Amino acid sequence: MPERRVTPHARQSAANTLKDESNKRFNWTLMMILMTVFQLFSFFTVVFPDGELNTKMLCVYGGYIVFEWLYLALNELITKRSDFQLEIIAFFLSGVGLTVCGTIDDDYAVKQVTAIGLGVITFTVLSLLIRSTDTAMFLRTPVAVAAVGLLCLNLVLAKTVNGALNWISIGSFSIQPSELVKIAFIFVGAATLEKLQTTRSLTKYIIFSIGCVGALFLMRDFGTALIFFFTFIVIAFMRSGDIRTIIFICTAAFLGAVLIILFKPYVAARFSTYRHIWEYINDKGFQQTRVLIYSASGGLLGLGIGNGLLRKVFAASTDLVFGMICEEWGLLFALLILLSFAFVGFYAVRGSRKASSCFYSIAAVSAAGMLLFQLCLNVFGVTDLLPMTGVTFPFISRGGTSMICSWGLFAFIKSVSYNIGDVVPHKRLKK
Amino acid sequence: MEKTTKRGYVLIILIVLFVLGVAYLTFLFFTKGSSWSSNRANSHIYSSGRITSAGNIYDRNGRILAETKNGKRVYSGSSNVRRATLHIVGDTSGVISTGVQSVFKSKLTGYSFLNGIYSLKKYGRGNDIRMTIDADACAAGLNALNGHKGTVGVFNYKTGALLCCVSAPTYDINNVPSDIRTNPKYEGVYLNRLFSGVYTPGSTFKIITSLSALQNIPGVELESFDCEGSKTISGGKLVCMKHHGVLTFEQALNNSCNCAFADISLKLGKTKLAATAKSLLFNVPIKADGINLAISTFNVSSADDLELAWAGVGQATTLVNPCHMMMIAGAVANGGVGVMPYVVDEITNQNDITIYRAGVKNSTISIEPALASKLRDLLRSNVKNQYGDYRFPDLSMCGKTGTAEVNGKESHSWFVGFSQRADFPVAVVAVAENAGSGSGVAMSAANAVLQSLLK
Repeated sequence: MPERRVTPHARQSAANTLKDESNKRFNWTLMMILMTVFQLFSFFTVVFPDGELNTKMLCVYGGYIVFEWLYLALNELITKRSDFQLEIIAFFLSGVGLTVCGTIDDDYAVKQVTAIGLGVITFTVLSLLIRSTDTAMFLRTPVAVAAVGLLCLNLVLAKTVNGALNWISIGSFSIQPSELVKIAFIFVGAATLEKLQTTRSLTKYIIFSIGCVGALFLMRDFGTALIFFFTFIVIAFMRSGDIRTIIFICTAAFLGAVLIILFKPYVAARFSTYRHIWEYINDKGFQQTRVLIYSASGGLLGLGIGNGLLRKVFAASTDLVFGMICEEWGLLFALLILLSFAFVGFYAVRGSRKASSCFYSIAAVSAAGMLLFQLCLNVFGVTDLLPMTGVTFPFISRGGTSMICSWGLFAFIKSVSYNIGDVVPHKRLKK
Repeated sequence: MEKTTKRGYVLIILIVLFVLGVAYLTFLFFTKGSSWSSNRANSHIYSSGRITSAGNIYDRNGRILAETKNGKRVYSGSSNVRRATLHIVGDTSGVISTGVQSVFKSKLTGYSFLNGIYSLKKYGRGNDIRMTIDADACAAGLNALNGHKGTVGVFNYKTGALLCCVSAPTYDINNVPSDIRTNPKYEGVYLNRLFSGVYTPGSTFKIITSLSALQNIPGVELESFDCEGSKTISGGKLVCMKHHGVLTFEQALNNSCNCAFADISLKLGKTKLAATAKSLLFNVPIKADGINLAISTFNVSSADDLELAWAGVGQATTLVNPCHMMMIAGAVANGGVGVMPYVVDEITNQNDITIYRAGVKNSTISIEPALASKLRDLLRSNVKNQYGDYRFPDLSMCGKTGTAEVNGKESHSWFVGFSQRADFPVAVVAVAENAGSGSGVAMSAANAVLQSLLK
């Protein structure tokens, strides 16, 4: 990079910006008060089903609100920071998902609140880990090996759930390794030394990516494979800035997809109902038509939490949760949720310009891209604007690993807000 | 470093696409939400495909034709009314697709983009629909068809309100016959013949030929025609009911003389006759109050002279939808201005607030007023001088019969006409299948319904 002459004036304004950034206090307590009011309302139906107090649920939901406040208050006390926009969005979305679970089954709520707890832990630990770029560089290779290993283990132990082999069971818990690998995928892709990247330095990452996407294909989890591929493109572009390479990769992938469809017709068969769901209203289009029917029934304002009928359809609280939100909470609220994700996207883009390391810049943009892309596949998939691939709605779909992954990705997005002073300076490690 | 961070803007592309997708989805909910939510798979409204909760349906006099009681759809207490209004009200499973319960299902559920079907859940019923039809007149019409398959329709030619709509065969929705799918008696039972049927028009088509003659042959009223009982045209034979001798134009229509109208058709030629038919909405899809009518077809483009002559007297390949024929008669009666028939008069929500009230909607049928007036006089002459005013007491009736020949069976009996009474501006159509002459069952059925409406 050619050295740029920095005029005193420019230096002055840069210093000002930095000062403004650190002085600007985000009034998180006000946001939390508003959110607590909202959550008290939305939790009411779960804590007082049929007008009677459900003590177990009172513990879960009351505990959740207390936990949110404690976490943020302690966080401010320790880090002396108050910019908790992302944490509040994550708590808000997780709370909605928790309510959806609670209206279905008490046990779901208990499991879900545990998952949120694990998510927050993941978020915190990951945030601490990546604060030191050295640690991140050091962990890069082991994480990559572990990720591919986990996917291979998955392939061996896999048990088929709904046509995809992406689950392994440990005791009474089933986990989805591909969700955990998402975090690793961003981590490995973004952890790069601060120097101008070239296509050549991408080679190792390309090999790692092919391994991940290939394993997902073998598991027939096409949705997640697509998410990985998309994220790979974002990371490859962020690292190399080479549009020609990106076009080349996309063309190659497109040809690959055509070949797969030619030689493995079952792949295409999975998507045969796309744009024809009403013709298969009672078989292959069952879920999507029900999403549209019941979402429309809710109108803008919704039928009220717990009053919907989509909840009786298979996978309502997981893949189809967007439809449940539309039906019971209303389209307006569903749009609010979707827009909060758009906000997260902008947060990442804006932050990436000022990030204190290009690791954070790449990590934030690719994590936000991954979440947003997954959201597109989910929302537009269940409404038949895109083929349905069975991916989850981040934070809101019921499920532990998906929740952990969503919180983990938020740690990457959050990293763009680290001030230069917070970051452990980079030293070349001697190997 | 700086380059890398700038590249973050690539994510903006995804964000923009995402927001556009969300906007499009919202747009789809706005435009299609009503039809999605009223799908039969919606268990808020239907149970195994049958309506469980929806608003009430009333006739024009406030008689309940359908309502929801304890989660079940129940119909009129009178078996005759149930049978006579089956097709216009529709069945519970939506097999009769032109029924109000099918066409207006989203209205009956009270769907709105703002609230979805919230009010249906809250009140247990949707919006109420008051129809324009008169249940007693429908029952009278069904009775007057006297067991024949067919249809009777009456509408107010000034407003478009459909007062009577009967289609036979029919059945009692409370007591569905077990042989409904096998017994030939019930052939086409789910079809509302007024909206979905098409028939050879027979001599009722002479109204259209007459109009074309008035439009295109100056002084046709003063011409005379010679009928010898049959006529040889391009080597084939066109037959008339009898040897009529020399007739004026008016007498030719009074007597429904095939020979005279064959002469007129040949004089008009294909192009002009087809142009008149097209201006009256032949070969054009018509949607009346959300209900699609079967398309009437008139095609003489490849006809020879004999076929053209037969087409001009309403035989050959021409097919007419009864409701469409009624609309044409209505336009003639209304000084040449056609109006669209409608069946829903008013929709009220659960708080008895009117959310929809029907208004007059003109159809694209338009006839020059002077010609409409001449045609009206000719049709008045038919009743006065040929059929007899005693057939339509107190009605000052105009009209035309039709006897549509069908291969190997008794002819279909047609009557189409209108009352000239200023306080009773209605047009009527009646078709009785295989019932013989138009002056028989069809004319009696038309009168029976009109008399019932006058009461």
